[in-house]
Amino acid sequence: MNSLTAFARPVLRWGGDPSGGAPYVFADPSDPQTYTGFDYEFAEALADKMGMQAQFVPTDWESIVSSLKRKEFNVIINGFEPTGDRAREMLFSKPYYLFRLQLTVRKSDGTITSLEDCKKYGKSVGTLVNCAASRLLEEGKYRVKGYQDPVGAYEDLELGRVDAVLMDVAGEMFYARSNPKLKPAGKPFQTGAYVVGIRKADASLKADIDKAIDELINDGTIEKIFRKWNLWDDEQVKLRTATPPAIEITTTKLNWSEGLIKLFKAAMITVLLAFGAMFIAVILGIPLAVGQSNGGPLIRALCTTYIEFFRGTPVLVQLLFLYFGLPVIGITLPGWLTAIVGLGLNYAAYESQIYRTAFQAIPERQWQVAYSLGMRPILAFRRIIFPQAFRIALPPMTNDFVALFKDTSTAFAIAVWELATAYRELANATQSYLGIGIVVCCYYLAMSLPLAHYAHRLERKLQRKSTGILSSGAEK
Amino acid sequence: MITIKGLSKAVQSTTLIENINLDLEPGKILGIIGPSGNGKTTLLLCLAGLLPFEKGRITIGDRSIAAEESNTDKESLWAFRKKSGIVFQHLHLFPHLTVLGNIIEAPVHVNKIPKADAEREARRLLKKLEIEQHMNKFPEELSGGEQQRVAILRAIAMNPEVLLLDEPTSALDPIRSGDVRNLIREFANSGHTVVIVSHSVRFLRGMADYLAFMGKSELIEMDTADTLMANPKDPRTREFLRFSEVN
Repeated sequence: MNSLTAFARPVLRWGGDPSGGAPYVFADPSDPQTYTGFDYEFAEALADKMGMQAQFVPTDWESIVSSLKRKEFNVIINGFEPTGDRAREMLFSKPYYLFRLQLTVRKSDGTITSLEDCKKYGKSVGTLVNCAASRLLEEGKYRVKGYQDPVGAYEDLELGRVDAVLMDVAGEMFYARSNPKLKPAGKPFQTGAYVVGIRKADASLKADIDKAIDELINDGTIEKIFRKWNLWDDEQVKLRTATPPAIEITTTKLNWSEGLIKLFKAAMITVLLAFGAMFIAVILGIPLAVGQSNGGPLIRALCTTYIEFFRGTPVLVQLLFLYFGLPVIGITLPGWLTAIVGLGLNYAAYESQIYRTAFQAIPERQWQVAYSLGMRPILAFRRIIFPQAFRIALPPMTNDFVALFKDTSTAFAIAVWELATAYRELANATQSYLGIGIVVCCYYLAMSLPLAHYAHRLERKLQRKSTGILSSGAEK
Repeated sequence: MITIKGLSKAVQSTTLIENINLDLEPGKILGIIGPSGNGKTTLLLCLAGLLPFEKGRITIGDRSIAAEESNTDKESLWAFRKKSGIVFQHLHLFPHLTVLGNIIEAPVHVNKIPKADAEREARRLLKKLEIEQHMNKFPEELSGGEQQRVAILRAIAMNPEVLLLDEPTSALDPIRSGDVRNLIREFANSGHTVVIVSHSVRFLRGMADYLAFMGKSELIEMDTADTLMANPKDPRTREFLRFSEVN
């Protein structure tokens, strides 16, 4: 076809998440400017069959349904599964592929041979958030750990941060099957279907898509695509049968009391992260400040490098670096500890600067008066200098602590189940962004307001003891 | 008793004080006069043991430091520091402590005097200066003159052999008010030595036993107050005194 006709054809905008998205849709490693994958090829074929031009819109998997509703694209094509909760607010095409789930464990693992074993032995199971597998695990009350993409899940399995990973066979084939450190546990089970997700108002579009899928099944196009990706199996014959195949639709319904408990647990993790990280920051800030102010040239340069590095790069990148980078040199920390250490290291850089300015604000004469009264440096520091510096440092430290509380949400990037992660997962699974959002905000406020209030009271108490440095100005 | 021998202090290539020699017996008040920027405060800081110097030796009572020790952290330096108490031009009270706290801080934490005893003594001194009612206030709540009295009491409370005062006239209240002068006089009479640095001759007149005139970096002459006022030997002293008369 020539470019003129292509230009004239209506456009079918389809959404999918290309990050860690193989073999569905992902950046072609040999040409990262273009995309490939079976969903990419299916979308092209589907649009072509409908006399349309396919246009790929990269999006985020977890919030893909919201993006569809916000009309960022016309349809979802992304290994998308029909679920009961989704059925209430959107339409599904007929299936174009039937998938099954595969459990994967470490090669060295001798206990887990099935999903039931995971429950029996209390093992944790990782999976992609917001998919059929995650719903199955949540319903079954397994110890679930949700991931944004399969790469992170399998990497954590390798590192022992999670005991098993449950994934669609398509993803498992691509990311885990060839990994010598992992092995499948048991056979694939539980059939599900990939469908095209369509907005509720677009019933005629659904009819067109269903018709096109029928044609693609019957003329062998779909078989060709999936054979190419080595994903065609006998199961797919059911696609041809006149009656729709029996699809096990998993569903999530928000149980409010359960949801609140889940959020409360997440809030407790947020508290743990914030206090743990602040503890590290407050302590580690001291040697940094001292080193930067009073150290020799080497110490000074090291401290300054540390401070500028942690202040000059995003905390999110630092966390990802610690989580995925450190295991390369043999240090594997669990997610929550990585978050505490990472945020602590980051905030230590800021605390050190608060200390430094606070101590610089104390006139040299205060030391001299103390010395002339016979005080040794340690006593002078403890009784005279520190109490003055503390009250200068307190307000900015309080600010930092409140900021840190909010920064714990970055731990979501390394699969820590804190409050922001919980919000995304629960809200995406139930589409109740507003209700859960209000609850989550209340949790955050319930934590930060008493803190701010207490800090304010302490400040005022100290204020009454005067903050004025009596006189400034140089003396000769 | 203070003895200074050949004291010199420079910062990089700038000479701050040069070859100072001085003797002062106990029970006397010495006023050091001279224009600003001539090294008077530098001399005071050296006397307090707070500023290292390059040449010479300073002796206060039974303690003495030489130039080599003035830049170390030796016990002898710490012992020397306790020999004097200093009241800075800008006072530098401890802003986080009350008036009482400022005065008893060092007696309690350095000399390990029981708190109740230290407080009793502090009250006695405060009463003498009629600022007992401000005992539990914080420094910033006091007037400049009141702050100055507290600063003097803070130094006196450690019972140093020597009391050093830097430009006491710059406090907001006129220090001429009799009770502060009386306190200093009384402190000297009880066998202590007092050194007051000031550019104001008027303030020192009638109070100082001796006067020393400090020219650029050096001690030009020193004599009894009456002699130096009436009959200065050096033309630079004469010049300064004539100039300060009209002020």
